[in-house]
Amino acid sequence: MKENFSRDIIKLKDIDKTINDICTKLKQDVHQELRRRGGVIGVSGGIDSSVTLALATKAFGAENLLGVMLPEKDSSPDSKEFAQKLTAKFGVKVIEENISGALDGFQCYQRRDEAVKRVIPEFNPLADKMKIVIPEELIRKNLPPVFHVTVIFADGTKRSERLPMNEYLQIVAASNFKQRSRMSMLYYHAEALHYAVIGTPNKHEVEQGFFVKFGDGGADVMPIGNLFKTQVYEIARYLGVPQEIIDRTPTTDTYSAEQTQEEFFYQMPFEDMDLLWYGWENGYSAAEVAPVMNLTEEAVVKIFKNFERKKKTTDYLRRPPIHDYLC
Amino acid sequence: MLLTKRDMKDKIKSFIAETTFTDINSFSDDTMIFDEGIFDSMGLLGLINFLESEFNVVTDDTELQEENFGSVERIADFVGRKMALAS
Repeated sequence: MKENFSRDIIKLKDIDKTINDICTKLKQDVHQELRRRGGVIGVSGGIDSSVTLALATKAFGAENLLGVMLPEKDSSPDSKEFAQKLTAKFGVKVIEENISGALDGFQCYQRRDEAVKRVIPEFNPLADKMKIVIPEELIRKNLPPVFHVTVIFADGTKRSERLPMNEYLQIVAASNFKQRSRMSMLYYHAEALHYAVIGTPNKHEVEQGFFVKFGDGGADVMPIGNLFKTQVYEIARYLGVPQEIIDRTPTTDTYSAEQTQEEFFYQMPFEDMDLLWYGWENGYSAAEVAPVMNLTEEAVVKIFKNFERKKKTTDYLRRPPIHDYLC
Repeated sequence: MLLTKRDMKDKIKSFIAETTFTDINSFSDDTMIFDEGIFDSMGLLGLINFLESEFNVVTDDTELQEENFGSVERIADFVGRKMALAS
């Protein structure tokens, strides 16, 4: 029988068992399926890579893991400090590979800034910061998000403009060099050590398509790929991930101005999104979900439709290359 | 030449069909184009450009609502209202 919908419905009932199940399967997948002897993890100092590293340490032992910090010009300096605290806590060897040079080679920053300047000509990338956001007034209109570029000028003033299609595409395509360069570097180390690349996306990132194809979506295994964000936090607390990492607001760490994942993509707090997604995925009706979430049934129906749309329109990202051309 | 609502809908439908590689007969004036996954963010941005170039209709952020953009019928109504206001 289906459990009544409640705010506790996704709380891990037996956290020890969940962790052991993940670690057992992770070890089996990497050793038996992939025939690799350990794992490489890109550590950003964020909650997802921290929990992935904590789980992998339990599965393989710290001596069979390598953490790689992959900062670039726009990365928050805090990220390095948090990543170092994390790897020290779990005794995992960590190295730093700055990818700014590779990104310069790809003209990542130049291509991105050109597009921003076409929309906001006063933008000076040497002094100003920029980010892409979904303006709050466009959230929950039951349409796909339309992105704005926000420039924070050196004097603290801001200007935000809706991005036309070509400029939006160019900014995203240029920025995606970052995740793809990181993936290349992780595979370099994985191949050099005969390890697997352990990816860090959580359930929302995988299912809503909040990852870069062949970027952070490029990995051999994704041990937290079916954990909700609140479950990731539960495991973080249980496994002793440093409190400063748990307390950080999740950001994309992609643009020069700080940008939360909520303003860029998810459009609602994780605690609510986890429950709503669970309700939608498990066939709970809007009438069952709405009172628990303090929302109207109409609002829940809209959110469910939005989830369905996101899953459909991001299917491309989850597809492997199509290769069956001889029928 | 006066543009009828049918003309408008046909132009919008053709645009959607061409840009999404969708059979024009597979969706109707009332199909919810975003709910059905025919259009995504890119589609919406392209549509905003198209309405501007084809009908000279500029869309404000506040007008980006399902009531105005959910289906071909709604888009045509929205364009009609904007054109009437401008004339």
